[in-house]
Amino acid sequence: MVMACIDVNRRKHVGLQQLSSLTETGRSFLGPVKSSKFIIGEGARESVLTCSPVRLLESLDLTSSVGQLLYEAVQSQKSAYGTGTSTLLFLAGAWSAAALQCLQQDIPISVIVSVMSEGLMSCREEVVPLEIPLHDMLGNTGHTRSYPFLGTQSVIPSPLVQIPAEIAWIQREQDRKDMSFQPSPAVFSSRHSSELSSRSSYFSSQSVAKGNKAMSQALQTNLIPNSHTRKSGLSHSRHFNRAESSSYQTSDEGQLDAWVPRCSDMVQLAMGLSHGDHSSMALVEAAVRCQYQNACVRRNRTAPSRFDVSKISTCCLPGIPESFSCVLSGYITLVSIDHIAIIRELQNQPLRVALIDGDFSENYRHLGFNGLGNVKTQLESLTYQEKMWLDCILEILIQLNVNLVMVRGNVSENVMERCMLRNLLIIGPVSHHVLQDFAEVTGAVRVTYATQLNEECVGSDVYVSLWRAGQLNAKEISDKVAVLVKAEGILLATAVLTSPVVAQMQAKEDHFWTCAYRMYHALVDEKVFLGGGAVEVLCLTHLQTLIERSQKKMDQDHSARLHRTSSWMASSQALYRPAVLEALADGWHRYLSSVVCNTGTCSSETEASTFIRNFLQKTIDSGCPLLYLLKEYNKVTSGVLNSGIPSRLEETSRVYDVVTPKREAWRRALDLVLLVLQTDAEVITGAEYTQLSSQDSNELLLL
Amino acid sequence: MSRVKAKKPSLCTCELLTKEIISKSLSILRAVVTSCYGPSGRLKQLHNGVGGSVCTTSSSSLLFSNLSVTHPILKILTTSVQNHVSRFSDCGLFTAILCFNLVEHFQRLNLSTATVIKISKHLLSLCTDYLNSESCGCRISVDFSNMKTLLCLVQSILTSKPACLLNKKETDHISTLILKAFLLTIPEKAKDHAVLGKSIIVPLKDERVMNSAVLPGIVIEMPEVQLIRKFPIKKLPSDALKVALFCMSMSGDISEPGEGTLVISYGVSLESAVLDQLLNLGNRLITDHVDIVVCQKVIHPALKQYFHQHHIITIDRVGISLMEPLCEMTGAQTIGSLSFISPTSYGYVKDLCSTNFGSKHYFHLIPNDSTVCSLLLCNRNETAWNELKLACQTALHVLQLTIRKPLALLGGGCTETHLASFIRHKGINVPECILKVNDCTQTEYKIVTNAFCNALQSIACSLEHDKGKILTDRKYGHFWSIPPDFPSNVKWQDLVSECGCGLYGNQEELNWCLLQDIHSFAPQNSSIQQATNSTGHLTLDCFTAKLHGLQVAVETASLILDLSYIIEDKN
Repeated sequence: MVMACIDVNRRKHVGLQQLSSLTETGRSFLGPVKSSKFIIGEGARESVLTCSPVRLLESLDLTSSVGQLLYEAVQSQKSAYGTGTSTLLFLAGAWSAAALQCLQQDIPISVIVSVMSEGLMSCREEVVPLEIPLHDMLGNTGHTRSYPFLGTQSVIPSPLVQIPAEIAWIQREQDRKDMSFQPSPAVFSSRHSSELSSRSSYFSSQSVAKGNKAMSQALQTNLIPNSHTRKSGLSHSRHFNRAESSSYQTSDEGQLDAWVPRCSDMVQLAMGLSHGDHSSMALVEAAVRCQYQNACVRRNRTAPSRFDVSKISTCCLPGIPESFSCVLSGYITLVSIDHIAIIRELQNQPLRVALIDGDFSENYRHLGFNGLGNVKTQLESLTYQEKMWLDCILEILIQLNVNLVMVRGNVSENVMERCMLRNLLIIGPVSHHVLQDFAEVTGAVRVTYATQLNEECVGSDVYVSLWRAGQLNAKEISDKVAVLVKAEGILLATAVLTSPVVAQMQAKEDHFWTCAYRMYHALVDEKVFLGGGAVEVLCLTHLQTLIERSQKKMDQDHSARLHRTSSWMASSQALYRPAVLEALADGWHRYLSSVVCNTGTCSSETEASTFIRNFLQKTIDSGCPLLYLLKEYNKVTSGVLNSGIPSRLEETSRVYDVVTPKREAWRRALDLVLLVLQTDAEVITGAEYTQLSSQDSNELLLL
Repeated sequence: MSRVKAKKPSLCTCELLTKEIISKSLSILRAVVTSCYGPSGRLKQLHNGVGGSVCTTSSSSLLFSNLSVTHPILKILTTSVQNHVSRFSDCGLFTAILCFNLVEHFQRLNLSTATVIKISKHLLSLCTDYLNSESCGCRISVDFSNMKTLLCLVQSILTSKPACLLNKKETDHISTLILKAFLLTIPEKAKDHAVLGKSIIVPLKDERVMNSAVLPGIVIEMPEVQLIRKFPIKKLPSDALKVALFCMSMSGDISEPGEGTLVISYGVSLESAVLDQLLNLGNRLITDHVDIVVCQKVIHPALKQYFHQHHIITIDRVGISLMEPLCEMTGAQTIGSLSFISPTSYGYVKDLCSTNFGSKHYFHLIPNDSTVCSLLLCNRNETAWNELKLACQTALHVLQLTIRKPLALLGGGCTETHLASFIRHKGINVPECILKVNDCTQTEYKIVTNAFCNALQSIACSLEHDKGKILTDRKYGHFWSIPPDFPSNVKWQDLVSECGCGLYGNQEELNWCLLQDIHSFAPQNSSIQQATNSTGHLTLDCFTAKLHGLQVAVETASLILDLSYIIEDKN
């Protein structure tokens, strides 16, 4: 066994170069207009259409250690937040290029590390005023307002980024009404006519309580203490001691607050968070609404009235036009066409349900069961044993009057056949969230073995029905039919995703989940950022002022807040600060340019870069970047307002970003870059000499 | 027909350290270890080269446990460092680098190995005597009534591991949590000898560091969301919950089936027989009014169902590492048999509740009066989490060592340079009797002392990784660093800002000079305790660990120098 050691720093930093080139592939995923990529496997001639960094990295052969770390970082962001991965991927690349740039200027690594992380921290504080608080968004869903008109408008929400209008999203509420098995799914009904009136009544109901003027003042006073606390928090930070900002903070406070946009209802929020993918977001919004209404039904049974993203499932139906996508309360899944008769039989009557948290077969044993050693029974035949078991469980099921069994694991063929004969519907495999929700709402208890079932374990009042997308024949979904399982007050909502192009199905599902997580985090955080590049622009202007200030006076007290490295680092930081901060800003600048370029506003990256630079300059020249941005982003909105389309637009034309996932993506990207930057050697353990000799041997140091 | 194969002769190697292959391996390993040292140390990526997980670290324990060194000399070194780390957690890199430095410096001397070893042992005893004496100028006493020094100690450990990826705020947060966790392990009513409790680190990856928390008692992850509606459960009149703790599997296995085939007659089901036995046990627990059943391994689902019907909470798959703290906290004895349960083996907790951290759900067992606590540790990615966990464990261990001996050494290189100047000063006038005891001349003594001090100084210099220059002052003998390319007309005083440990600033005229040019002077150490109170932040090292590391380094270096032959059995 040989242990080898590769000196990463021998030439320029190899790790950073790798990181920068690996992330280059993710550039097209940035922004509202994404381009998909085909990944083609040479051997098997397989190809995958991908539009998300996670899928892309999954398909790449990442053997290098940096590739591994990148994949881990993206995966971890995805599992924690479900969104923000392309930001992470891009910024990791942009900042590693920036760090390389710093290394070329002979800036000590420790200085790059501390200035960059300090710069990011300071920017994270700086963008706080761009947060828009959300209050009781779910409560506002209760006012039945339609969602699907989202796609019908063209919106220009940001001076930087144009979000394109999607092909009109055709409403089919009438069809859906016919399809859904219960006649009153209020979620799907959209009442255009009543919408405006319901909105105005919402406002008036508030103004009755407070008086119209009082309310707007209340909103302001609500905001002002907010900004007070923020600003006092910030004034402790040394970044915020600048004279010009404190002047406008005191005098222009009212003015600033007047410009802080408000987001008061679900449609507006969904529109702003859709980032161009209106159809997916419309589904998410419908799911939120659906959950909320069912939670209201269930409130007496202690239900948390917040959006629970784990209680959403998806059902993909490839080969069906996109317009059939919809959200239904309950659980939809595909089952074999053989079940069609049973489902027809059981339709429209309350069913008794059993939930099995394991495989439904004779030879299944629970996790952690190691068997009984080598045991043989005399005169025993396996088939006989299985038959015995089958008879036994069928007897149990029939005695308990169970009509529906939902199974988490696999269902054996024999069980399926026998149950079908007895008019027992078996659905599986289903995820544990689904089982959990049915358990909560029906009173059923999940069991591992069917033999454990007793009266207390069986839930009741579940309904099944066949579900069809429009007028399509069931046959068209490759010998499968969709079945809808429902119970009164169930939180679970299923998004039926359809796409005529089979290859797009996966991407469509990914998009749906991204939107769902965006919405989820906005509601959990109870705040959103003003989106469309505003946050990044504010970061850039902030970094610019930091750079200018540190060039003006090389103030010593910067050192105090830094990690204590060796003492000369602290003093020489003043010298290198401008260059490192410049590099950090460069990352965001490239991010914005790529977004602008991807949306097609500018034809090339350089043009986009100039465009951004001009806008930035204007923002800085205004004296108060924050106020300028707020005004500028409002101007665009009202510009649309004035351009003919009447009032209804007012509430739907701003872009929002999620707060925590975005900040985390920044931080994780920088963490990854700094981790690689500080690495100077790779140690390959446990490899054989022959494996290593394939690599360039003079790079290796053998121990 | 058997054939006898002749044995191969053993291989004997001599003149070990001058062999090219050995000195080359030594210098590579030395470079690897030295570059990891300190808060600006460089990280190493450890991986298997074929797409396995990547560990990014700069800590000696991970580094040495993953390095597969083959040469006996390297093995001696890595093993003794690993031994040191397993006992003291801290100062592993210090020990390794010092040992490398000593070997290198002593090897260059043109003296007999025996003399070198003798004198270096004498110098070691000088060091330890000095560090243990009241007059020592590089140690401070730790005041447990004041958290400041303890926080400094913990922060120094966390900042010395850059792969944790913490910023200032996060470092403060984690240091406070570590301190809190440590304080929770100190028993309130101390008798003659107090036994410290245990803090358990519970992993919570993919989360923000600031979400980390400390809770008294034990936190166990729920495999899935159990029906939390069942909380709170019925309570005993004594307002405590009765706990049974099982260390055996309750999954319905036959524990030791042995070899061979068991034949049973038709109609007998072993599985149900075992399950019946389990249910009998369940009945016993129900009649004993147990509220919570905790099992190290798996509980059979049917038994679980039975328990739930009787409002008993089950927690299974706890793992062996939690069993000891569970016993300690609840006062229960583990039950290892299905048939016999002594009534004395049950334990008690004050309460059980469920908490959420991140997206996970946890059981929280709240103790009545116990010194067990849980530190929920978050970090954003796997490799940073591992490094942070290691740093936290080290910090907790260091606090334990410190409460035993409430002293701390100045960190940031100051102890090394100060100690070197002390030894140099002592070496000016060596009493005849000491030379006699060590069997050497005055010159020999001076040469070895010089080499020893250089080794100590060069470990201080290893803290610098960006080509900066190292200075020392002629008053306290502390460590100062300045930029690599300073203009020649600038005074030292304008370049330095603070010494390595943070005790002294550049206010006073301290008579600086380059570290390599230092000649002997008498280091002052009068006002150290006063100075500590006036400064805000100090870099501190664990006294016990560093002292032991010093001893290990000198003795291992002596051992390596003393090796003259390696005899390998080639069969």
